[in-house]
Amino acid sequence: MTSGLSFNQVKFRWGKQSDTFGPITGRIAQGSFVGLIGPNGAGKSTLLRLSAAYLKPTAGEISLFDRPIAQMTPSQRARLVSVVPQSLSTNFDLTVEEVVELGRLSHLNLRQRFAPVTLAHRQAVSQAMEATGVVAFSRRPFSALSGGEAQRVLLAMALAQNTPLLLLDEPTAHLDPGHARHFLELVQELVYRQHKTVLMAYHDLATVGLYCDALWLMHQGQVLMTGNPETVLSSPLISQVYETGFVHLSHPRSHKPMLLFP
Amino acid sequence: MRRVGFATWLGVLTLFLVASIIIGVLYGPTPIPLMQVVAILFHPTASINSVIIWQIRLPRVAAAALVGGALAISGAVMQALLKNPLADPYIVGASAGAGLGAILAQDFFPALGLVGPSAFIGSVAAVGLSYGLARGKGRIQMLTLILAGYAVGIILSAVGTFLMLLNRENLSTIFAWEIGGIHGMTWGRLWVPALLILLGSMAIWPFSPDMNAFLLGDEQAHHIGVAVERVQFFLLLAASLLTAAAVYLSGLIGFVGLVVPHVVRRLSGPQHRRLLPLAFIAGATFLVIADTLAEHFPGIGTLPVGLITAFLGGPYFLYLLNRQNRRAVGGM
Repeated sequence: MTSGLSFNQVKFRWGKQSDTFGPITGRIAQGSFVGLIGPNGAGKSTLLRLSAAYLKPTAGEISLFDRPIAQMTPSQRARLVSVVPQSLSTNFDLTVEEVVELGRLSHLNLRQRFAPVTLAHRQAVSQAMEATGVVAFSRRPFSALSGGEAQRVLLAMALAQNTPLLLLDEPTAHLDPGHARHFLELVQELVYRQHKTVLMAYHDLATVGLYCDALWLMHQGQVLMTGNPETVLSSPLISQVYETGFVHLSHPRSHKPMLLFP
Repeated sequence: MRRVGFATWLGVLTLFLVASIIIGVLYGPTPIPLMQVVAILFHPTASINSVIIWQIRLPRVAAAALVGGALAISGAVMQALLKNPLADPYIVGASAGAGLGAILAQDFFPALGLVGPSAFIGSVAAVGLSYGLARGKGRIQMLTLILAGYAVGIILSAVGTFLMLLNRENLSTIFAWEIGGIHGMTWGRLWVPALLILLGSMAIWPFSPDMNAFLLGDEQAHHIGVAVERVQFFLLLAASLLTAAAVYLSGLIGFVGLVVPHVVRRLSGPQHRRLLPLAFIAGATFLVIADTLAEHFPGIGTLPVGLITAFLGGPYFLYLLNRQNRRAVGGM
């Protein structure tokens, strides 16, 4: 089975600081929805940024779909992996549609840079907007949206980018429970219907086990444990790294694991 | 509604530009009737009026148009790179570098007429220095670039002021140059910077989608496939060459590079594919009009064009900000 994303002895270090990251070795199978958990400063965002080649590892190799990311051009890479950040702001009044269209950048040839109006681009943009339910406010300025609306637009931009791998960094951190649920179900649907591979950093241990197929637990720049949500969430390592106890429950309907405050 | 009218705005602004050029060559010490001006523009003759228009007035008007266009494009590029709507072409040290270059040329080689070329070199060198300082290891931070440019600007200005005080006889020349003005323009002086401005502007245009992406921040631009550092370097280089070419022709003309991209964004939206060509034409029109007004100011005679752009641009910019604030407070 192909890996969507794989790490081979990946190390990273910020400048001359002694805090080291890694070595990390592991793979995420194509078509799986993996949650990345761990306390603040564990290295979740660093792992995502390394996976999108925004940071370059000091040692080791990262591959997207079995091709080393270091050998890709920016547009080759951007056609394989997209990133949904926790939030994004701009001083300029781009409309929602213009932001979503930016997701197409790596698909434009020189002529389309002046007029990206081909059918394929139009379709990719409108499908992405429909899937995320942002069509209704497509002409509004992006900077005037609420947190929940903005987050759906950022997902729409990633969908317009049309990559087989998506990296999400705390995508529901600013969303209310209703919007958070819709967002996570949308991502789950992308994995099941379109066979996308997703790696999502997430804080809420009551929710993450309900949606993800597997979890990676990080602490101090290391991946301590990987496995299905039942195994990882029931490990004693969880209480150690978060420095708090949890109540273990399984969801009354789906019987999936949830951790709550004691 | 404002986003659909690109072709319309292109047509309207081009008409304005043509009209402003005709007005620009119409005025002068020798009165030439409008119809004759138009006829000569389309069919140059050997008459004295034709020489006045083609050899004296038109080079000056063309220079004003090119300077205005170059500053508007350069301003739009800096605003996108720095993600700051208040950035202008001079923000990362270009003006101070140009100023020092002009002072050095005036002080040490006054006979050679090297003020323009020396200002050109000073301008590009100052931006290069700011870039070099801001670029630590790895990725360049745009905030660091602004701060480095600010520091470089202060240091170079201080050196310039010091030299000016040592050589007080040059004060008025340098002062006139720092306010900006287009004097004694000839085709011979114009063609090299003109080529640089036209080619530079055309080279920037294909990077419109990348500039749109920069509006979302450098990290997101990376994620959607922009070769962030290479594109930033190229755009900064191209914008500083445009600015330096403008400075070479006219000294330091303020406000065009700041205000014109703003006004055009209101017409066409922030997409650079539309913004850049419209900004070039609008900047050209604005400066041709300002220069004509400066050259033949009613009741006074000749004023520096930089003074006119500041007079026109400053209050208009305040008006825009005020309108924008009211819109924001009123919830759109």
